[in-house]
Amino acid sequence: MMRYLVLYLHFLRFSFSRAMEFRLDFFFRVVMDAAFYAVQIAFFGVIYRHTALLGGWTYDEVLIFVCGFFLIDALHMTVFANNLWWLPILVNKGDLDYYLVRPVHPLFFLSLRDFAANSFLNLLLAGGLLAWALLRHPLPLEAGGVLLYILLLVNGAFLYYLMHLAFLIPVFWLHSARGLGDAFYTLEKYAEKPHRIFHGWLRGLLVTALPFSLIASLPASLLLEGLQWKVLLHVLGVTALFFLAVLALWRRALGSYSSASS
Amino acid sequence: MTRALRLYSHVASVEARKAMSYRADFWVNVILSFFAQLGVMWYLWQAIFATTGQATIGGWDLPAMLRYYILVILAGKLVRGQEMMAGLSQDIYDGGLSRYLLYPASYWAFKYAQHLGSLLPSLVQFLLFFLCLPLLPGGVGDFHPGAAALLMGALAMALGNLLYWLLQLPLQAVAFWADNVWSLGVLLRFISGLLGGAMLPLDLFPDSARRVLEWLPFAYLFDLPVRALMGQLDPAAWLKGMAICAGWCLALYVVSGKLWRSGERGYTGVGI
Repeated sequence: MMRYLVLYLHFLRFSFSRAMEFRLDFFFRVVMDAAFYAVQIAFFGVIYRHTALLGGWTYDEVLIFVCGFFLIDALHMTVFANNLWWLPILVNKGDLDYYLVRPVHPLFFLSLRDFAANSFLNLLLAGGLLAWALLRHPLPLEAGGVLLYILLLVNGAFLYYLMHLAFLIPVFWLHSARGLGDAFYTLEKYAEKPHRIFHGWLRGLLVTALPFSLIASLPASLLLEGLQWKVLLHVLGVTALFFLAVLALWRRALGSYSSASS
Repeated sequence: MTRALRLYSHVASVEARKAMSYRADFWVNVILSFFAQLGVMWYLWQAIFATTGQATIGGWDLPAMLRYYILVILAGKLVRGQEMMAGLSQDIYDGGLSRYLLYPASYWAFKYAQHLGSLLPSLVQFLLFFLCLPLLPGGVGDFHPGAAALLMGALAMALGNLLYWLLQLPLQAVAFWADNVWSLGVLLRFISGLLGGAMLPLDLFPDSARRVLEWLPFAYLFDLPVRALMGQLDPAAWLKGMAICAGWCLALYVVSGKLWRSGERGYTGVGI
């Protein structure tokens, strides 16, 4: 465990020194993510001009959910996104070998090596927006509830990473991750909307096999509507199951890896 | 002239074949992405109409709103294309631009021909779903565009495609001075999505915002082509939109040309 921690600190050091070399890109990233936040808030702002409630939530409540999603997105962009972007390229070029022969778990190396220091500022910005959304809520929120919400958002970021990885692993068989990679970014839109707007089989799917609603929406409902143990256990249980499923899929994919480039 | 056209159509055809070479990707993109995108908006607006209990919102009833989203998803893919513009900044970054400077052809025309070729999967998707649209239930399929609406929509999509490509051009030219401009392309995607009508019909915006949007380029990327296809525009309104769109294309062409020439003066061709 200590070895992994020391290794991660090295990753951080290299990533920060590399980010400092590309200062303009650093600035562009900040602007890009700030625009993403502004566009999402404006989108819901326009929607709420025409309705008082969406999925049972008021505008103040939806802001807490949306800003929670920003925090998850920023965590993903900072910690995992760059690494996952490289995965299909490494597989197709046969460059995965380098990671497989290291004396650490390949998924650890592949998922965490590149810490996007240039997105780190956005993580602070997203955190600030979440604090703003929580503080502007008209009713007082319990400190315990807020703490649990933040912990569940971290869990949401991990689940988001697992789902992204699950959509990229088929590159071992398909040799191109573009279709499924694009599909992930399309399906991710389901995580950006309150889960109660979906109903029937789709809502069932979004809280089980494709758990996009567990990323930010259900955590927000636990904060806004009070703690429900059943929902909390469901969120944690599905995350654990997803983790095991992705690990199994990864092992199977490695079994198909030929090391030849395509 | 004919020789140049033959060259660019060959470039476009090579790119089209390349775009269709990954069939699994193509079908995943065509089927899954379309239904996934539509599904979000379908449920979102069903929830809003159910909550408000109103028959129309911002002048749109539910079937018309869903029809708008179907068309904006399909037309949006044709307008944005494969967003290959990263290729330009990459050419600048790694020195790949040097070989194009030696070609007896315009670099921009070459790249735009590639961009047009890469539209083939989106075109197949557009035709496939557009033809199936009248079969949809619940009034959504109540859609019978006339020849004039189809023509106006097709021309608006073509000009919108050129406008989107030209909007990316100055952003890509920044690569002469910066190492990585990928974020700028994504920034354009976010902003154009909201202000162009890909996320919401522009009628839902406040009047003051709509007055400003009319003079920005974004509304001509998605809102104009879709409204033309839906038969919501009379020829005068369509012509005005097309004229503003063409004006933006011209302005962006001039600005990009200046930026590009200025960048080329400092271009070393060394790459990374």
